[in-house]
Amino acid sequence: MIAQQIINAVSLGGVYALLALGLAIVFSIVGLINFAHGELMTLSGYALLASLVLGFPFPMAVLVAVSCGALAAVAMERIAFRPMRSASVTSLLLTSFAVSSLLKVVFQNGISARPQAVAMPGWMTGAFSFGDFTIGVGPSISIVVSALALIALEVFLRRSVTGTAMRAAAEDFDVVRLMGIPASRIIATAFLLSGLLAGLAAMLWVAQRASVDPLMGFTPVLKAFIAAVVGGLGSLPGAVAGGFLLGIIEVLLQATLPAAIAPYRDAIVLSGVIAVLLLRPQGLIPAVRVQRS
Amino acid sequence: MLSVEALKIRYGEVEAVRRVDLTVDSGEIIALVGANGAGKSSTLGAVAGLVPAASGKVVFDGADITGLAPEAIARKGVALVPEGRRIFASLTVADNLRLGGAVHQPAAEARVREEEMLELFPVLRRYHRVKGGNLSGGEQQMLAIARALMGKPRMVLLDEPSLGLAPQLIDTVFDLIAELRRKGLTILLVEQNVALALEIADRAVVLANGEVVLAGTAKELASSDLVRQAYLGA
Repeated sequence: MIAQQIINAVSLGGVYALLALGLAIVFSIVGLINFAHGELMTLSGYALLASLVLGFPFPMAVLVAVSCGALAAVAMERIAFRPMRSASVTSLLLTSFAVSSLLKVVFQNGISARPQAVAMPGWMTGAFSFGDFTIGVGPSISIVVSALALIALEVFLRRSVTGTAMRAAAEDFDVVRLMGIPASRIIATAFLLSGLLAGLAAMLWVAQRASVDPLMGFTPVLKAFIAAVVGGLGSLPGAVAGGFLLGIIEVLLQATLPAAIAPYRDAIVLSGVIAVLLLRPQGLIPAVRVQRS
Repeated sequence: MLSVEALKIRYGEVEAVRRVDLTVDSGEIIALVGANGAGKSSTLGAVAGLVPAASGKVVFDGADITGLAPEAIARKGVALVPEGRRIFASLTVADNLRLGGAVHQPAAEARVREEEMLELFPVLRRYHRVKGGNLSGGEQQMLAIARALMGKPRMVLLDEPSLGLAPQLIDTVFDLIAELRRKGLTILLVEQNVALALEIADRAVVLANGEVVLAGTAKELASSDLVRQAYLGA
């Protein structure tokens, strides 16, 4: 029982971490909290549904769905955010709300307001025994996928020129451009990565619930936003730490709170967030950004 | 090689540069001097593409580069070493250098170039794996210059390279600038330390309140009454 709860906690934390990381990557480069991030997740969910309905084999369908998330993020930047590049942060924020509302309406009217069942393969909902413990296959896969995604991202950011340029751009974008590195390449890559991570998170989310609905992305991305703020907005290690922390606390409270207090779980979690921010307003692991006049 | 014609720069209502005309010939060091707020850094910013020109023209190698993005100007062979160095503090010296030469040449050539830079700045070899933010001011200035040179620019814009450095380090940096010129690099130098700038430059342009008030060879300016009274304290 305890082992299962720990697996669930880490698995939920991993999903929050992937989403928070996507928000943080874009924020660290563009200074924008992309509130349409949740819709990227929803879109990937529908892409998975469509691919399965069209009869694609499951791995292929997942590949299509994740790619859709990544491409949608790049398209979002091209269509909605690039024309706003010299605008204020507030305008960008409002733009992201607009994109989010627009996509939600498209999902509701174009597909259905009601949840659609996604036929996940049977083995996903199974469990395997490990000594005395019974461990769910879904949450275990979720942990492995999150871990691999985090490692791959770290290698990309450390080793590749574009990744290094992204770390530099989070610190001082103008100087990166002075090195001849195009601003649009950096920004497009940031959105591509955030879309990839949202797509992966969507797969893990749908795997646990076997359905997609127009508001699917809202709750997890709201949590991811909280995680990113707790971790230190714009700080990538902070986003990961915040995501895992939030996921783990949520599941452990769920498991340990007496039934009478259980409905207050979110209130307790959010009080914790307030406490963290009172003690560390910059978050757990603050972002490095050189302030300039 | 570079000519700035009737450049005007505005920040909102404020006119930072009213009118600047200057030319830099190949292989020269031109010093742009003047008091704080005279418009020196804004002029460099406009040449590098960081600051939009309200009117006027910047021509490099016969091509009009006014209004181009900074990355496009960098690719044409103009490198700006910005005021305050602005190295990437959270990146290692190696990564700072790598970004400097990333888009201008194939990877193999960039490695050769990096080796040349480490030869020229031995201190950077010693701290190759150290984060830029942990270097001292003088070391950071070396890194900023080396990073700009990684892309093999034909012209370097240096903004206040002596700012905040100890006197001996200033000498080292200026020896280096002289050495770079001997190697054929064209340099536009912005400097508050007028005496130092006139020592190293071929020609100089004096700015005050966003306008050119005096221009000539460094020798002429060093002996002009205006410069002596206003900037050299003589």
